[in-house]
Amino acid sequence: MAQVAFEEISKVYPDGTSAVRSLSFEVDDGEFMVLVGPSGCGKTTALRMVAGLEEISSGTLRIGERVINDTPSRDRDIAMVFQSYALYPHLSVYENIAFGLRLKKVPKDEIHRRVQEAARVLDLEAFLRRKPRALSGGQRQRVAMGRAIVRQPQAFLMDEPLSNLDAKLRVQMRAEIARLQQDLGVTTIYVTHDQIEAMTMGDRVAVMRKGELQQVASPQELYDHPVNLFVGGFIGSPAMNMLEGTLERSNGSVAARLGSQSISLDSGLLDARPDLAAFEGRPIVIGIRPEDLEDAAIVGEVPAGRLLQGTVELREALGSEIMVHLGVDAPVASTVEVAELAEDAGVPTPAGGTPDRATRIVGRFSPRSRVKPGDETQVAVDTQALHFFDPETGLGIYS
Amino acid sequence: MADSASTVPPAAAGVHARGAGTDDGPSAAPGGPWGQRAMTALFLGPAAVMLVVWLVYPTLKTFVRSFYGRDGSDWVGLENYRALFTTDTLQTAIQNNAIWVGVVPALVTSIGLIFAVLTERVRWGVAFKIAVFMPMAISLFAAGVIWHIMYTQDPGQGAVNAAINVVDDTFSSAGVLTSAQGSTPELAGTPERGLVLKSSVRPGETALLGLTGIPPAQVPEGARQAQAPTPRPGAITGTTWRDFKPGGGRPGVVEPQELGLEGVTVQLRDASGRAVRTIKSGEGGAFSFEGVKAGSYRPAVGPETFQKPFAGVSWLGPKLITPAVMIAYIWVWAGFAMVVIAAGLAAISREVLEAARTDGATEWQVFRRVTAPMLAPVLSVVFITMLINVLKVFDIVLSVAPGSSQDDANVIALAMWRTSFGGVNDFGLGSAIAVFLFLLVIPVLALNVRRFKRET
Repeated sequence: MAQVAFEEISKVYPDGTSAVRSLSFEVDDGEFMVLVGPSGCGKTTALRMVAGLEEISSGTLRIGERVINDTPSRDRDIAMVFQSYALYPHLSVYENIAFGLRLKKVPKDEIHRRVQEAARVLDLEAFLRRKPRALSGGQRQRVAMGRAIVRQPQAFLMDEPLSNLDAKLRVQMRAEIARLQQDLGVTTIYVTHDQIEAMTMGDRVAVMRKGELQQVASPQELYDHPVNLFVGGFIGSPAMNMLEGTLERSNGSVAARLGSQSISLDSGLLDARPDLAAFEGRPIVIGIRPEDLEDAAIVGEVPAGRLLQGTVELREALGSEIMVHLGVDAPVASTVEVAELAEDAGVPTPAGGTPDRATRIVGRFSPRSRVKPGDETQVAVDTQALHFFDPETGLGIYS
Repeated sequence: MADSASTVPPAAAGVHARGAGTDDGPSAAPGGPWGQRAMTALFLGPAAVMLVVWLVYPTLKTFVRSFYGRDGSDWVGLENYRALFTTDTLQTAIQNNAIWVGVVPALVTSIGLIFAVLTERVRWGVAFKIAVFMPMAISLFAAGVIWHIMYTQDPGQGAVNAAINVVDDTFSSAGVLTSAQGSTPELAGTPERGLVLKSSVRPGETALLGLTGIPPAQVPEGARQAQAPTPRPGAITGTTWRDFKPGGGRPGVVEPQELGLEGVTVQLRDASGRAVRTIKSGEGGAFSFEGVKAGSYRPAVGPETFQKPFAGVSWLGPKLITPAVMIAYIWVWAGFAMVVIAAGLAAISREVLEAARTDGATEWQVFRRVTAPMLAPVLSVVFITMLINVLKVFDIVLSVAPGSSQDDANVIALAMWRTSFGGVNDFGLGSAIAVFLFLLVIPVLALNVRRFKRET
């Protein structure tokens, strides 16, 4: 068990593609670090560099005190769990788990003891003599985990280990892996593109974009104080609504003008974030989390300055809450980051934006809300929880 | 025939239903069950007729024929089979075939495996694969002819021996002379052990190593007139020369028209007969050992002078002919094995190999414990295919082995052909050999069929 430290790690492929750029962060001893980002952001490359499966172009990589840049994979004392599980098809479950121990020439009875223990922990005891092809996806995943834990390595490296499972199993394994990691206390780097996995499993989360590290922080910190537009838009589901507006001061109070509408901001907010003053009269990106929107009819008394007018386009009832898609007359934030996030989410271009077409925003309403598609409705905005970003740099404004 | 007909109708009917454009499903072909049977017969008929005429009938006929004598008129019972196991040349054939079966499939499979693994990860791997696969494009007979020419014994003609010659030359080159003897009784010995001067020489003295019995053709062109040596203090100087001139001349004396021998190996032997110094004579046959320690020495013409040039390995002779044919055969088939195994390799998930590496395996352990076991099904396909091919090996033996070595290179299929058509014209014995070969192939075929069944 040891700390894993990235110092200015870069990866440039022979064809000139730069996959990872100057990555620096540390994973503390026993910490569960999640690397997250859209596909192609370099997170898997970063993990494979730790595993020794990808050469490090520049920078220093340490596990504990050792610099392992040039150490072959087999001597790094790490265990990797692959997306495809990569089980040895010709070996039984028992032999799959015992493989690494056999290579290390661990005594037979010790191997037996450790494999049995891992099988017990992972509930695989009944399958030890089966071949991987006779197992279900979830069982294979557990064998892959077993293969990693019997080795008692310095660090676990997991490359999207849950993405081949169905949704229900994924939730179950998510908890199981997190619990296992906590019990074993082994330093873990976990790569995923699923921000829910990142949020639920990680002690800390590192968000990457185009080979560059955006922010490393605890899940809550990431959620509450995304360092930039990209992190703000990537973390959270449904994603943060990004609207473009301008800050206007009238009669001593400041309001954010969103198209034809306007939300007045508390003076407390401006006091807490004096940097916002510099954006008066200038365009600014305003981020609103879906849960900070609520059907005004439910909230009751809402000051007029905190209401947005919109048309309900879609209502997704989830039982405990309702996702309401609304068209509002406000320009969407049209920055590179927003376009990129939309592309990653599978939406070809950010919805709306032009004056004749309303921007679609998503609100997480209480199930008691009676809104239905086609309704013109009033939405209450929690102005305390608004996020502001500089449209030029994309950076969040928190001070 | 009847058996296969009963299993085919659904497919045949399906084809018919589509062809006729009916839409009431494949099971309801027009004409009922009899229509289906007719259709089956129509599809199977041509192939079945050809199989019977050219395969089933000849097989049965061969079996019957093997119990008759050479001209087919008299019944001899098992006499042909007795001859099969008692005739010398046929026993050689069976032995050779056993060697082929024991050696070639294993070698082809392992060479193919090595090539496939090595070419997988190198630059120009594809070019290498194409080069190795090329021989598959020519017929085995033609490949045999090529190797027959390459195996020619004279290094001036056969490529294989020429190649060996090049290597041989870098380690030991042929001597300047093939044979010679001392021109006076003073220089005695044999070319194999060296010609040694009887009287010993001390530093400051000279040695005369006159040789006769040298064929004129071996005296190099441009050889210079030999000069009598001049003594020098601390050195032993001397001359080796052809102590002969038209008319004879006086033995043991350097005379005009007598030519010096350049390149002769001259040794200085001590009292025990051990060579302490060795040099080669220079222009005009002159040599000198400088800075010789005091003592008495005996100069000698070293045996290296008479080293025979490389005469070539007799690949096509009786001793080496079977390995020689095998090499040619492996050359042809290694490409096949490589391509099939490479396809198997490509199908192995890279992540599994990476998993083994992160599990702590060295490259060799990855190969030995993961790659090889995962390739096992492919390796067995190659091995069994080669086993069947090798049992039937025929044409390459015929084309590589010259007539004089065919008895030694003999294999069962070649023996069958030579007995039946190659001048002996004993069709009875030939048929018996054919039946024997057929029986040998059956178990391997059965093995193969069982494997197919398991896979499907």
